[in-house]
Amino acid sequence: MQVLWLFALSAATRAYAASLTLQTPRVTITGPDAAELLSESLSLNAKATPSLALGPSDVLKLTFQIVESEEGKGVQPHQTFLRFYDEVSGEEGVQPVKVTAGGKAKFELNMARPPASLPPTTTNPLKVTLLLGSFVHSPAKYELFDLTVPASQPLSQHPSEAAFHPLPEITHTFRPDQKIPAKAVSAFFAGFLLWPWFVLLALWSQVGLRVPHLLSPHILPFVAGIGAFEVLLFWYWVDLKLGQVLLYGGILSVFTALSGKQALAKTAQWRLGRK
Amino acid sequence: MAGPKSTTSSASSNAVRSLLRAYNENTSSRLKFIDAFLLFLMLSGIIQFVYCILVTNFPFNAFLAGFGSCVGQFVLTASLRSQVNPVNRAEFKDVSPERAFADFALGSIVLHFFVYNFLG
Repeated sequence: MQVLWLFALSAATRAYAASLTLQTPRVTITGPDAAELLSESLSLNAKATPSLALGPSDVLKLTFQIVESEEGKGVQPHQTFLRFYDEVSGEEGVQPVKVTAGGKAKFELNMARPPASLPPTTTNPLKVTLLLGSFVHSPAKYELFDLTVPASQPLSQHPSEAAFHPLPEITHTFRPDQKIPAKAVSAFFAGFLLWPWFVLLALWSQVGLRVPHLLSPHILPFVAGIGAFEVLLFWYWVDLKLGQVLLYGGILSVFTALSGKQALAKTAQWRLGRK
Repeated sequence: MAGPKSTTSSASSNAVRSLLRAYNENTSSRLKFIDAFLLFLMLSGIIQFVYCILVTNFPFNAFLAGFGSCVGQFVLTASLRSQVNPVNRAEFKDVSPERAFADFALGSIVLHFFVYNFLG
């Protein structure tokens, strides 16, 4: 039993150690009129990989057979990929390749209808690499050739592409500060405002109204109260806070209201008595 | 004053002159006193408004305070005048001249409070 197990283990390690290689890898390029432009067998050990070029409607055919390197038996690896890699732009595409049970594989690249796995290309060559992966064999990687294909169309702009850029910085514009007009203009108008006073005083002096009771003890407190109110409001403009004004004004209003009631009652007496 | 211009202008100047004469003769001196004050307020307000239009309204609060005080005082004074006018006695039966003056004084103080508030 133990011997059998050891044998199985050694077989497994032996099988795992066995690597995969390619037999008769061959590349063919045919033109649009089915004329064969190039037919070349690839050597896997060559230092420099061959450079191939494809026209816009050429067809590239790649055929090979995957075999075990020791026994030469055809093997179907679990994974077989062709990798197209643009070293300059960093673009790459990976294309799975179908392999038969006998290890034979055929890949066709028609440039008239390029596969979606072909990366966007420029005039730079694509490095074409074959990647083999297997559960029972060591993985393998073969540089096959450099392929120059016609440059792909530039990417079409998505309609909403412009929305994915930072907007220009918002700069606020403010209305310029208002300016105080020239002193002379202000002074002129301030002086101009004096002449309604002259008109007022002239007319009042012409009317010649007499105020015989102004200084009587009944009237004077009321007039003084009103005057004090005006002084208080002026003081408010110059210095005071609103709360202070309301406080002083409240006190003053009581006094003024009482004195006003007395003064106006007295006035009414005079008016009615005179009649 | 009524020069040899046109008949309409002389007629209108006649009308104005008769109006002024009637005003001078029929208006009591107290009402004239109030009217002079009203005229003063009107002129002050007009000058401030013209300044605001022609030059600037820059310290707008100051303009509001000045113009508003003129207008408000004019309104208060006009109502005082209409209430103390003996001709309107029938219309303001319940309002004695003293009551009207008290209203005027109170209204003026409130108005001046707001005006100083705006003056900044």
